[in-house]
Amino acid sequence: MEGFLQNYGFLLVTLLQQSLLAFSLYFPLMAGQLSLASPGFYALGGYIAAIMSTAPECTPLREKLGTGIYPLEWLAAGLISGVLALVIGISALRLRGIYLALATIAFVEILRVICLNLEITGGAIGIFDIPQLFAERWSYGLIFGPLLLLTLLFVYRLENSRTGRALKAIREDELAAGAMGIHTTYYKVLAFVIGAVLAGIVGAMSAPFLNTWNARQGTFDASISYLAYVLIGGSRSMWGPLLGAVLLASLPELLRPLKDARLIINGMVLVVASIYLPQGIVGALGRLKRCVVKNTSPMGGER
Amino acid sequence: MSVIIQADGLCRNFGGLQAVDSVSFSVNEGEIFGLIGPNGAGKTTLFNLITGLTPVSSGSFSYQGRAITGLPPHRIAGQGIARTFQNIRLFKGLSVLENVRISQHACTRTGLFSGILGLPASRREEREVEEKAWEILKLIGLSGRAAELAGNLAYGDQRRLEIGRALALQPKVLLLDEPAAGMNAAEKQSLTGFIREVRELFHVTMLLIEHHVPLVMGLCDRILVLHFGSMIALGDPAAVQQDQAVIEAYLGAE
Ligand SMILES: Nc1ncnc2c1ncn2[C@@H]1O[C@H](COP(=O)(O)OP(=O)(O)OP(=O)(O)O)[C@@H](O)[C@H]1O
Ligand SMILES: [Mg+2]
Repeated sequence: MEGFLQNYGFLLVTLLQQSLLAFSLYFPLMAGQLSLASPGFYALGGYIAAIMSTAPECTPLREKLGTGIYPLEWLAAGLISGVLALVIGISALRLRGIYLALATIAFVEILRVICLNLEITGGAIGIFDIPQLFAERWSYGLIFGPLLLLTLLFVYRLENSRTGRALKAIREDELAAGAMGIHTTYYKVLAFVIGAVLAGIVGAMSAPFLNTWNARQGTFDASISYLAYVLIGGSRSMWGPLLGAVLLASLPELLRPLKDARLIINGMVLVVASIYLPQGIVGALGRLKRCVVKNTSPMGGER
Repeated sequence: MSVIIQADGLCRNFGGLQAVDSVSFSVNEGEIFGLIGPNGAGKTTLFNLITGLTPVSSGSFSYQGRAITGLPPHRIAGQGIARTFQNIRLFKGLSVLENVRISQHACTRTGLFSGILGLPASRREEREVEEKAWEILKLIGLSGRAAELAGNLAYGDQRRLEIGRALALQPKVLLLDEPAAGMNAAEKQSLTGFIREVRELFHVTMLLIEHHVPLVMGLCDRILVLHFGSMIALGDPAAVQQDQAVIEAYLGAE
């Protein structure tokens, strides 16, 4: 057990963390909004935690709270990300489809350039020697794991609630949703903010886990990875982001023996999956299940 | 009889085109108010103006004596004006049951957290939503297909579901945009009965756009005729049918 955790602990925690980030993109997507802003909020949350953990100004606070500083960092990261998302969401969510995606990419880039140039974020070098919450890497699963469970529970309850139904209605047909009494702007912004809060908290938890934090943490590449998790896993079911993140984030690890060829295979998986699995893996499994049920149940067409 | 909807000089132009041109009328409570006219006369545009989907160019309308011009669609729907669409706009990728749950949004209040936590008030409300949804499905005869995706229903059933979805909003005014379009004779016949039943059960006022003349004449208390955006007649079915301007508009349009 010890050896296993030594070898695979980092990967396991990374899978939990990437799944969480996939969910941060899934929330706006529930309302049909293609937002790629998650890495921006993730980076922001990480910087907030890194600064609170290392800045000399925060020393008295750290001494007073001890490890209690960490939950405070998560809280601060979630709050600040949420407020920023509110401001951005209200203006950006007027845009639709690919335009919204572009605007959110621009946001990620702007934030990256700002962090590259500010003193407080450590410029190009970033912030290093961030104090560790746990001695072992795998122990970070003890915070990412419960957060993922909480997120799954949240999404499950959300999908069967009035708010979740409003989001789904907007995804299906925004105009009809409005005509049915749903305040579409409110719910779109709400979904965007929830995703941002989650990304911010994950960033704050990741800063000690990764030990250093710099402008490479929130990039366009990451936007595309998270999007791939959700689309390939399936964007219409809560199991989609989870499955997609676990599969795609572990793929490079599994293919490591292949050296550089693994990048090609990785890319091919993305292309093939997006062509043959338009609804993602979970969507394809669902269709398969419906077929089987239809062919075996005596009431055939009734289901 | 009290007036429920009052329109004063409603205008809407698209570029140089006068789609709706100073239209004024009032609809009485409990009435079935017909709206007819040749293709492109501006009927759907008039519905879009009333429901806030298209802003008016000028003019105003009020509902139960309150001005509602310029309100966003969700507020207008929330006050009790529901509609169907000429080109069916169901939530196609969701189940039939989910469609009639969703449109109860405006008459329920559960917020994000009380829904997630399943607080008693939200659980009670959820039960009511469920009950109401099944009630509506029984009424429109689709309770046997509740789990099916709305987009997989037959055309006529989709039209009925759209009416059901609008009714789940518990509206006081229901706007039906060509509910019989694409139906066969038997379906049209049963739709006529269904619309009467809805009026009895829900005490709802209806505005009805329809091309099928027997259906309109049989159902409506009064009829407004539009032609190139302008009102050319308003009155009871018999009077409208005899109206010279109406006959010319339809003959000219053929
Ligand atoms: N969004 C729009 N932009 C530009 N022109 C429009 C728009 N909506 C409607 N029109 C035009 O306004 C006129 C009235 O259209 P409308 O759809 O209201 O007619 P209608 O009476 O419902 O016709 P039909 O019987 O064919 O449904 C038409 O000439 C149409 O082309
Ligand atoms: Mg029309």
